[in-house]
Amino acid sequence: MIQFSPLALSDIVASCKENIVSDMGGEKVMLSIKNGNYYNLGHVGGCIWDGIAEPVSVEKLVENMISEFAVEAEACAVQVVAFLEQLRKEGLILVNEEATSAALA
Amino acid sequence: NQAKKAWQQPELEVLNVSM
Repeated sequence: MIQFSPLALSDIVASCKENIVSDMGGEKVMLSIKNGNYYNLGHVGGCIWDGIAEPVSVEKLVENMISEFAVEAEACAVQVVAFLEQLRKEGLILVNEEATSAALA
Repeated sequence: NQAKKAWQQPELEVLNVSM
């Protein structure tokens, strides 16, 4: 099983393009072409997904969420990082070199 | 000031279907 080091606020993340995403009743639902699984990202998760369409630092992503949602900064950072870890575990996002090189491709 | 949206802890739900 692949073990990842924990994401840091300085890490760069971007969404993996090998997914089909659709809005259903205000929530984002996604099909991964890579593994054939369907996912429900929910409303906030969908906003995070939109926020990583292009490579962005975790810190900047958290700042964007804080400006858009009524949430404490610390709680937001912890929960956004945990969500990104879930996405990474499922192979749905790119991190650091993967993210930046994919953007240049 | 624009009203901020309500925050809910984001969770990735793996749906019980697969192609």
